[in-house]
Amino acid sequence: MWDNRCKIAVSGVGYSKVSRMADIPLAAHALEAVKGAVADSGLEMSDIDGLATYPELPATGHAEVDGISIVSVNCMMAMLKLPALTWHIQVGTTNIGGAVQQAVNALLAGVCKYAVVWRAMHNPRGTYQNLPGAQAQGATQFTAPYGFGGPGQGMAVAYTRWLERNGQSRDKMATLAVTQRKHTQHNPHAYFYGTPLTREDYFASRMVAHPFCLFDCDIPVQGAVAIVLTAADRARDLKPTPAYIAGYGQRLHFETAGRIGSLSSYMEGGSSSAKLTWERSGFSPKDVDVAQIYDGFSASVIYGLESYGFCKEGEALDFIQDGRIELDGELPLNTFGGSLGTGRIHGLWHIIEGALQASGRAGSRQVKDANVSFVGASAPIVTGTTFIFVREPY
Amino acid sequence: MSDWSKVTRPIPVPNEWTKPFWDAAKRGVLELQRCQSCGHFQHPPYATCVQCMGIDLKFEPVRGDGAIYAYTIMYHTGDKRFASAVPYASIVVELDEAPGALLAGNLLEAEYTEAKVGRRVEVIFEPLTNDITLPQFRLAR
Repeated sequence: MWDNRCKIAVSGVGYSKVSRMADIPLAAHALEAVKGAVADSGLEMSDIDGLATYPELPATGHAEVDGISIVSVNCMMAMLKLPALTWHIQVGTTNIGGAVQQAVNALLAGVCKYAVVWRAMHNPRGTYQNLPGAQAQGATQFTAPYGFGGPGQGMAVAYTRWLERNGQSRDKMATLAVTQRKHTQHNPHAYFYGTPLTREDYFASRMVAHPFCLFDCDIPVQGAVAIVLTAADRARDLKPTPAYIAGYGQRLHFETAGRIGSLSSYMEGGSSSAKLTWERSGFSPKDVDVAQIYDGFSASVIYGLESYGFCKEGEALDFIQDGRIELDGELPLNTFGGSLGTGRIHGLWHIIEGALQASGRAGSRQVKDANVSFVGASAPIVTGTTFIFVREPY
Repeated sequence: MSDWSKVTRPIPVPNEWTKPFWDAAKRGVLELQRCQSCGHFQHPPYATCVQCMGIDLKFEPVRGDGAIYAYTIMYHTGDKRFASAVPYASIVVELDEAPGALLAGNLLEAEYTEAKVGRRVEVIFEPLTNDITLPQFRLAR
């Protein structure tokens, strides 16, 4: 087990308004989320001395403009002018979970005391995923000429392979979409709060990239979320009940850029990250009381459940049936609605929910007696990370 | 059947790693990068052999027979250049001679509903410009 387990905790969490269109600059959303997280902790902004994010805009063919389409650490520094700032970082080989892990490391090293991590996501005007222009450079020269565009198609090809090799039907995925939307109705911050979804809606929806229909894809939105991390002893002095980080991991597998359709890249990415997390925390999948697994596209949940070890390969679509992933089920899953419910804010909202469930702060969606709370943040393929939060330090 | 006649495809820009692939395709030959130390074929081309770390890599011809490894049927018309072909099959092919090397393509000369994992396919060549010819696939005959 990891010597540093339960030494760092998530304290406050914050949200911006989540909207479909970018009516105010993204920096304003990020600022709102960060202010919210600091206030939730009961801290003053002047207490914050660490900043971390992963600022990427995953839309393709759109300009990255700091403050408008991304919110970098520099942008946040310019807005906050923190008098006590001692540490900051932006990560690249992992998504936002890597920024959280770097903040954990910085807190353990003692180079900051109260770190804020935010994820801000922009919804550009026009088509989200554009193919490159008239010319296909680099890795896209082998994909774009065939009409392969963004991650949706990239993940759809692996999904067809998974379905057909395992003799499974995409119809079973309706359970995931409908159950998560049900969970969303307990999350007032979510984009789809107040908008239920039925099985009939799922089956009647238009196809986007087979086997994905509209409700297999998270809706692009404009918004941001943020958390405050601090050492366990400091967290205990703050307002919220701390969610202790018992272990974490990151994907250790990469196949060459431009390689698409490879199921092994998802499976080995996820299993390598989860193995570290299980070993460091001392827990195993059967100990988990509640799980958040990244669902930017629905199939990501399959790869997560299987590669993290919650079920065997080929069984995930059967595993999620019969009430197992309901709030009172055997493995309540994506209890905040997931990205399918909140809108596309990447993995930090999964981390927030993992922490809220562990600290008993999840309100009407709180899972009873949740102590071991698992998070698989971001798609396991190239940027995945995993975490375990617990209520009781050990 | 998907109508490709009005589709404007992005044109591949060869670079130092990929030029031999496109030069061969222009001659109607499929050539993949192969490690001269361990014999491993890989695609997309890379700086080193991802199997043995070898740096002696050469392009060698392969027969274009293989099976559909994975596929998706595209319905979204966000990119107007491809909108007239929707729905169309974008496929990923694993060649018999190069296991593990995955090539993208479209399933041509067939209904998009014919795309299935494991279905046998063979390479054909689709000239795009004077310089660039795209390897493509059809059902094996």
